[in-house]
Amino acid sequence: MKPRFVIISLTSCSGCISSLISLDIFPQFLERTKVIYFPFISDVKSIEDCDICLVEGSVSEENQIPILRQIRRRAKKVYAIGTCACFGGILSLSDIKMTEPISSYIEVDGIIPGCPPPLKLFGNCLIRLVENKELTLSEKNMCGSCPLRGDMKINSSINVSKITPNPEEIKLDEENSKCFLEEGILCLGPITRDGCEHICIKMGLPCEGCMGPVSKDYTSNIINYLSLINISQELKNYTGIFYRFSKPKLKR
Amino acid sequence: MLKVIDVCKRIEGHGEIKILVQNDEISLVNFEFKIYRGFENFLIGKTLLDIPKIVSRICGLCYSSQTIASCKAIEDIYNIEVSEQTILLRRIILTAELIKSHSMNLFFQTLPDLLNIFNNNKKIMTPYDLINYDPQLTKNIYELIKIGNEINTLFGGRSVHLISLIPGGVIYSPSKKNISIARKKFQNALLNLEWIIEKFIGLFSHQLPPEEFCTPNLIFLGLSNFGRYNRYSGKLSLKENNKNIIEFEKNNYSSYFGKEPDLHGIDFYFDNKKNVIVGPFSRYNIVGSYDIDEIQTYLEYFDKSWKNNILFANFIRLLEIYLECFQSLQILDDPQLNTKQKLPSLNLVKNSEGIGAIEAPRGLLIHHYDLNKSNSISRIKLFVATEFNIPLINEMITQYARELFERTGDINQVKNDVQMIIRAFDPCISCATH
Repeated sequence: MKPRFVIISLTSCSGCISSLISLDIFPQFLERTKVIYFPFISDVKSIEDCDICLVEGSVSEENQIPILRQIRRRAKKVYAIGTCACFGGILSLSDIKMTEPISSYIEVDGIIPGCPPPLKLFGNCLIRLVENKELTLSEKNMCGSCPLRGDMKINSSINVSKITPNPEEIKLDEENSKCFLEEGILCLGPITRDGCEHICIKMGLPCEGCMGPVSKDYTSNIINYLSLINISQELKNYTGIFYRFSKPKLKR
Repeated sequence: MLKVIDVCKRIEGHGEIKILVQNDEISLVNFEFKIYRGFENFLIGKTLLDIPKIVSRICGLCYSSQTIASCKAIEDIYNIEVSEQTILLRRIILTAELIKSHSMNLFFQTLPDLLNIFNNNKKIMTPYDLINYDPQLTKNIYELIKIGNEINTLFGGRSVHLISLIPGGVIYSPSKKNISIARKKFQNALLNLEWIIEKFIGLFSHQLPPEEFCTPNLIFLGLSNFGRYNRYSGKLSLKENNKNIIEFEKNNYSSYFGKEPDLHGIDFYFDNKKNVIVGPFSRYNIVGSYDIDEIQTYLEYFDKSWKNNILFANFIRLLEIYLECFQSLQILDDPQLNTKQKLPSLNLVKNSEGIGAIEAPRGLLIHHYDLNKSNSISRIKLFVATEFNIPLINEMITQYARELFERTGDINQVKNDVQMIIRAFDPCISCATH
């Protein structure tokens, strides 16, 4: 029996769904599954029982909550696709708009993080789901396998005053060799989950944290990190650095 | 009064149609969005260099257009000219985005409509009907989507929300080897496209397009460079009846249209705002010709009845991919692409506001930023393609729904059929609900 899939979008940029459709394995994915509901590309209007539901996007409207609950009842397993569904996503920058990960309302069986999820990771996860296997993600932070790590140690002599380099400081023809923190640029690698192959870092930009936190204790990770390094007053006043892709959760 | 609401299918994002029926007649049909995200609000207070990577997240289909429009507005504020190499790289990146956006829209969203309109014997109802309709077509479209992804990844670091696009330039200096890889990909794209375009011509060109998809007299709005197709730079044009043309600089846009922050929708400061259209159909009508013999030949397969029919936009999208792959091959041969350069320093703000205008795959996109005294954003206005098209879409679906309902009295048919008109416009709801 082919696994039955439902794929839905909540509040999002549609980048994860478009990444999914653009995967070169997507036609084979369709062949090996039965996608019974996927409004982006199909006319079917009602959600029926399924084996796996993939959800893109965050919850930003009250009327999305009953849809999620309905899906949880209908689906044997529910997976959050992309950083909005996993952690709340870019709307976390907003003070006005609510944005919540789907796990705030329903139980989730796994996540595929990233903004958008890196294609290789996404493709591999999808194959595992089709084969009825659990998803496995790295439980390490970005620094362990960072190409810029060298003998860098995070300590109190690090002074950080910028979140992004000035364009003139970015080397075009040679690879970066120094950790961003040494250059006074805040990198979120120490508190972000590994799995994106360091694409931003390799290109000369620090990690902005789109893969989300390594552990559930994100806030305490941030506090630990901040207690180790010195951050300029200007950066302290700037909002939305750490919680760019997720809202802080103080209650559980 | 009866209010009928239906959720639109096979479009990008969440849109609904609202049909109002009064005294057995349809009084109004509106294409509406239910979710607003508020980028214009939460970008206030952000520093300039932080903006482009945030606005990329407005849309997972037009990410590069959003980012580049933002970079251009910021470069306007710093009053810097980017290098020729940057322009060439950005144009290639815009092409990669267009390849993906147009081919995914054509295949998943509008091709089923075209096949259902013109080939009555075999209805396309599910993605399975579609991918099995013609396996070679599926393969060739997927080859195009893959090429779009690969070029994005090569030049931008990833396939969506590109990393390399920053104010002042592109963090990428292509090696000879990578230029040669990109050349092979674009050549391959052209081969696939020729097959797809010929398939499209074979399927539809001999047929008469349905009248309900005919457009009223349109006012085409878009960017062009001395009358030639250019999505990156040039002047804005308003063209009516294929003759009256007004050209103006992007900085003067507010003489023709504007918007209030927080309020949805664009105000036009001229008559007939319901006739304004942006996007591929508009770009084609503004330039009149694409300067490539092959494209001219392809165009001749379709007679006059197609040229004022919105379904023709689907064919124009294919031709735009062809044109831009062709132009990208020329860019890859340009020696300026391979020069060693440094990115500029962005330290001194010269202007307190900046405007960036480009043509996204779905049409004109303008970013307008104002700064406060501490050089962070104090006001932001985003004009996106789908917002420009909304009055026309609503006018066309209302007219068609009235006529169809009078003829058939079948509200379900109205619900389904007006969505075909909406999809022919390729609306981008993510962008429109920024």
